[in-house]
Amino acid sequence: MKTESTVKYVLRLALTLLLITAVVAVALAAVNSVTAPKIALLNAQKTQEAIEAVLPGGGEEVAFTDDTGLVATVYQGNAGYAVKVTPTGFNGTVEMMVGIDPSGNVLGISVISQSETAGLGAVSAASTSAGEAFRGQFAGMSGSVSVTKDGGAVDAITGATITSRAVCAGVNAALSCVANMG
Amino acid sequence: MNFKKQFKEGLLTKNPVTVQLLGMCSTLAITTSLFNGIGMGLAVTIILICSNVLISALRNFIPSQIRIAAYITIIAGFVTVVDLFLQAYIPALAESLGVFIPLIVVNCIVLGRAEAFASKNSVLASAVDGLCQGIGYTVALVITCVIRELLGSGTFGGGLLNGGEGIRIIPAQFPAMQMVMPVGGFLVLGFVIAASQWLMKYLEMKSKKKEAAK
Repeated sequence: MKTESTVKYVLRLALTLLLITAVVAVALAAVNSVTAPKIALLNAQKTQEAIEAVLPGGGEEVAFTDDTGLVATVYQGNAGYAVKVTPTGFNGTVEMMVGIDPSGNVLGISVISQSETAGLGAVSAASTSAGEAFRGQFAGMSGSVSVTKDGGAVDAITGATITSRAVCAGVNAALSCVANMG
Repeated sequence: MNFKKQFKEGLLTKNPVTVQLLGMCSTLAITTSLFNGIGMGLAVTIILICSNVLISALRNFIPSQIRIAAYITIIAGFVTVVDLFLQAYIPALAESLGVFIPLIVVNCIVLGRAEAFASKNSVLASAVDGLCQGIGYTVALVITCVIRELLGSGTFGGGLLNGGEGIRIIPAQFPAMQMVMPVGGFLVLGFVIAASQWLMKYLEMKSKKKEAAK
């Protein structure tokens, strides 16, 4: 190494690292090209299932106006609306679907994706009895919802008040969005 | 190369969780159900074997001044591959572990083994080291999971058995919710570490007695 000039030495380090990162990048691109369509398909399927879970008969995407900034997409069907909202939970965005009938009552909610704490906030999306009980209580609610801690009627998930508040915020955004649509 | 010695080290005397105290973040965070423990353990084991093998193979090619950057790039590559495959083929597990799969990149176990073992040993020995350390991590994780799940949710095999609900052992009104929260993680991990220390001392005494008897 003593005989090596500084330029050569720096170049050797830089080029080695460049080579490694280039190989890793190519490998990742290859894997991504295999898994990306599969993941996209799964997500589309999940969205479809989420719509049908909260809105019997499903619906078509329609234009909407939103003041909360939480509404991503609105689907309209015979039974009412399915609103995809993205409130912020404990660890990140909670992507969920809220079904609302034409008179402004919640038909049901389902969580599409979330990154909440396993065993706590993640219960909001779980297909366990606790998760179903949490999501089920929203059905029939209207106007504005909040957790009991904030004076509302929603029983928060134990140990996951922030996640529960996020879900309430999502439901409220969906309710006001549908109210605006008349 | 001594497979038996490496296996014993990974499982007990140099267990990544209970002795080296590496990867604490994921250990404390995800050990709330059996499904999580097994899934995380397998993911880390696969990544550990792959990164150990590749880093060992490249150990004479990577200049030591940039080794950490090179190791992290390689590890991040494998973690992303595992993350993408989980999302595409086992979405339930990817969802349950959430952000902790990408966080394996910064899990000290993987970088620790790369630095302490794979960069100095042959490819085969490094693969065995990855497997043994991975098994040690998985076993420690599963034990913590089973205890926390039993005390915190009152079930066994959550996310895996009985259609994801787990087999209920303690009636629903009794379990202490705190056990699946962070405080329970610290408590249970402390007891698991204490138990493994006791077991090591016990085995040591036993082998000493045997020698004395000879």
